[in-house]
Amino acid sequence: MTMVRLVIDGHAINGESGTSLLQAWVAAGLPLVGNVGCMGQGVCGACRVLVRRPNERLAQTGLACETLVEEGMQVAFINISRQRRPHSYDLHALGDSWDAIARIDEIFPEATRCRHCGGCDAACPKGIEVEKMVNLAAVGQTLAAAELFDDCVQCNLCVAACPEHIDPAHLGQLVRRMTASMTLRPSDLIMRLHELEAGEQTIDLDSPGTLPQVSDDADVETADLETADVETADLETADLETAVVETAEIENADVENAQIENEEVQ
Amino acid sequence: MSTGIAYETALQEWRQTAPADPRPLDLPVSELLSNFHPDRKPGARSKLVIGPNAGEECPNTLSRLLQSDSLLEDVDIAGAPTSEADVLVIGGGGAGCIAALTAARAGARVLLATKLGLGDSNTVMAEGGIQAAVGADDSVQQHFEDTIRAGHFAAKKELVAALVTGGPSAIRWLIQEGMDFDLADGTQRMGGTLRYKTAGGASVPRLLSFRDFTGLELMRAVREATLLQPNLTLLTHHPALELLTDDRGHCAGAVLYDFAHGQEVVVRSAVTVLATGGSGRLHLSDFPTSNHYGATADGLVLAYRLGARLRDVGSFQYHPTGVAWPPPLEGQLVSEAARSSGAFLVNGLGQRFVNELQPRDVVASAILREIDEGRGITRDGKVGVFLDTPSLERDNPGILARELVTLGNLARRGGFDPAEEPFLIRPTLHYQNGGVEIRTTGHTSVPGLLAAGEVTGGLHGHNRMMGNALLELVVFGRSAGANAAADARRERPRNVGLTHLADWRRAMESEGLPLDRKAPQLFPYYGNFDPVRDRRRGA
Ligand SMILES: Cc1cc2nc3c(=O)[nH]c(=O)nc-3n(C[C@H](O)[C@H](O)[C@H](O)COP(=O)(O)OP(=O)(O)OC[C@H]3O[C@@H](n4cnc5c(N)ncnc54)[C@H](O)[C@@H]3O)c2cc1C
Ligand code: SF4
Ligand code: SF4
Ligand code: FES
Repeated sequence: MTMVRLVIDGHAINGESGTSLLQAWVAAGLPLVGNVGCMGQGVCGACRVLVRRPNERLAQTGLACETLVEEGMQVAFINISRQRRPHSYDLHALGDSWDAIARIDEIFPEATRCRHCGGCDAACPKGIEVEKMVNLAAVGQTLAAAELFDDCVQCNLCVAACPEHIDPAHLGQLVRRMTASMTLRPSDLIMRLHELEAGEQTIDLDSPGTLPQVSDDADVETADLETADVETADLETADLETAVVETAEIENADVENAQIENEEVQ
Repeated sequence: MSTGIAYETALQEWRQTAPADPRPLDLPVSELLSNFHPDRKPGARSKLVIGPNAGEECPNTLSRLLQSDSLLEDVDIAGAPTSEADVLVIGGGGAGCIAALTAARAGARVLLATKLGLGDSNTVMAEGGIQAAVGADDSVQQHFEDTIRAGHFAAKKELVAALVTGGPSAIRWLIQEGMDFDLADGTQRMGGTLRYKTAGGASVPRLLSFRDFTGLELMRAVREATLLQPNLTLLTHHPALELLTDDRGHCAGAVLYDFAHGQEVVVRSAVTVLATGGSGRLHLSDFPTSNHYGATADGLVLAYRLGARLRDVGSFQYHPTGVAWPPPLEGQLVSEAARSSGAFLVNGLGQRFVNELQPRDVVASAILREIDEGRGITRDGKVGVFLDTPSLERDNPGILARELVTLGNLARRGGFDPAEEPFLIRPTLHYQNGGVEIRTTGHTSVPGLLAAGEVTGGLHGHNRMMGNALLELVVFGRSAGANAAADARRERPRNVGLTHLADWRRAMESEGLPLDRKAPQLFPYYGNFDPVRDRRRGA
């Protein structure tokens, strides 16, 4: 096992080579209570860092769970709140898609002022063409813009990097969400929803398929003893059931299923 | 533990036989599970002696946490800053965000508190997909039966019925929030059909997906909606340490911990929704885990102490294919998609040993058996079996680059080429099958406390089907949020405090349980964080 020396947030650390910055941090006995989420999958964007390698003049941004330790690295965690939200909107009130460009411009007026500095691209740990997305979104090419952001993990490093306060990460989410909610209309899903509303798709709680079968393939054999406690329906306090009735009007009825509720009370 | 066949030798064996011939399991499944499934290992479990599930068995690590004392005393909350909400949601993963959004849109003043950042959770890590019966050859009844069967007939049928009938509208809801889905080849966004993949144990393909990062796409849309929602206050990096009770024993909010200031914050609420997810980071029986850093069973601990019944609390899912080597990636998931596309499992003798498409508990137990019986493969002190990605690629040229993108990224970070070298894999602790018992409305057995998502129990019986966890958090997140908002209109917290703790401590003492054992634990043991010590910092 080879060890390398590096500095993270002011702490001189010996890290095992092949481990990530986050792993080296905890292995050194330092407390980890923030700047972490998925811890290695690289999908939550919580572990933002600024990394400077020896002989490099400029520091680079990255994700600490995906960046491996190297001799002489200088590392600092970057805290960016996801809560600062200057660009707000209600997705359900955007109106129809004829106005998409106008809406994008209203919500993200700075997007047209991109100065093509490339700061966002340089900051992105996922290699996304952020600047290009911003420019496409600003001229209403929403689908093309949305696709560029497929791999975005919402780390907000591009937000911190943008001198024009364009908020690329959130502009990217707006175009993605707009595209999905305005253009995705799968016929199979819509058919099934109609069938459910018409009462043509119901559940038979005790159909033969819900019972263990002797002839069934091997995995079913295990159904055995553990099921004993299942039917001893563990429900007490019948008074709580009243809540069910009152909620019917709150949500479109689809969440609930009156038939099922009745079964449960018994 | 790490006895087995050396990597170099195993690699030669593999080269000689690849692609290895099919070889069915040579042991009845029931025997396999009872001898090799980690849930059943003798010595790994003990009986709970206090609380609503006293007498039931659960893993030692979890039983220690469930039967420990609170971190708090009355004095700790006496001078703490207090806020009020109609609905307090604890946990900012998928279930928490969706419950909070739904409650806020129904008119409730909502406070959402979470331990890490918003969306830093198991939800964002989900890869494979979400199940919903939308195909013409499928029905909600088939989804129902598949789920019951996969769970070994131990699931609560009413919950499963609500899950599957709510499936299609959950997908519509997600699209309305701006989540995208894969379409079937050659179809269009308007009027086309969704792409269906097959989950292990499913009778028809019904797994809907977005690439192989479905959870990321879901969480991005839902997180953005949550950030933009009026009437919804967010407290990130504020874990719940204890639930509050009123003079009737109803749940009346929670005490949170503000990391930045090292102090408690009291939130009084008419209704509380628990959405704290799972417990993989407890590393039961020293297993690695696929879970996010905050998955430490906090919600189970808090609910149990307040008197909420749990169910199937001894049942966990070990995903067959976690990374065994290299160590920095240990426990991370190699998606089930690899096996569903046809990748074989091969032991140190170059042999297959199970039908790879059996349910997860069967495949995981079969792998553990190979390891236990000395046919595993050892490398740098780690032990596992091969997932034969090179043969998969040889039979389906281009499949790795085209369909298994996340798998390729993982191998790249491990420093090898999955088209040349097989993955060394080993089961990883993946999912908490049981949890807080709920009804279809999200209500727990404690008035004022609702729950949704992985923290709950009953839906999955003893084995969860792939794709049902994401569906669960949408369907039950929505109904818990709606019911919480409705209940909140009729409730006002009164005489709020930690009154439940007196009884709890008495019970602990009478069973001789040590009062210096404190929980929730908040972070994994290697996180170098001791909540007891850290709280003194603020005092
Ligand atoms: C790698 C991986 C892949 C998966 N793939 C799939 C898949 O393909 N399909 C599928 O259906 N399911 C999949 N699952 C399972 C699924 O992702 C989870 O079961 C589901 O997302 C759980 O959602 P949740 O909202 O209940 O919990 P989480 O998303 O885990 O959210 C819980 C939140 O509560 C927070 N929290 C914890 N304790 C506290 C506390 N004390 N106070 C405040 N907040 C707290 C956590 O930090 C977290 O943010 C996968 C899981 C993993 C780990
Ligand atoms: S586009 Fe922005 S938010 Fe997304 S990953 Fe890149 S830097 Fe992070
Ligand atoms: S950082 Fe901002 S201004 Fe610079 S290229 Fe990116 S979006 Fe344009
Ligand atoms: S911890 Fe999630 S991206 Fe690094």
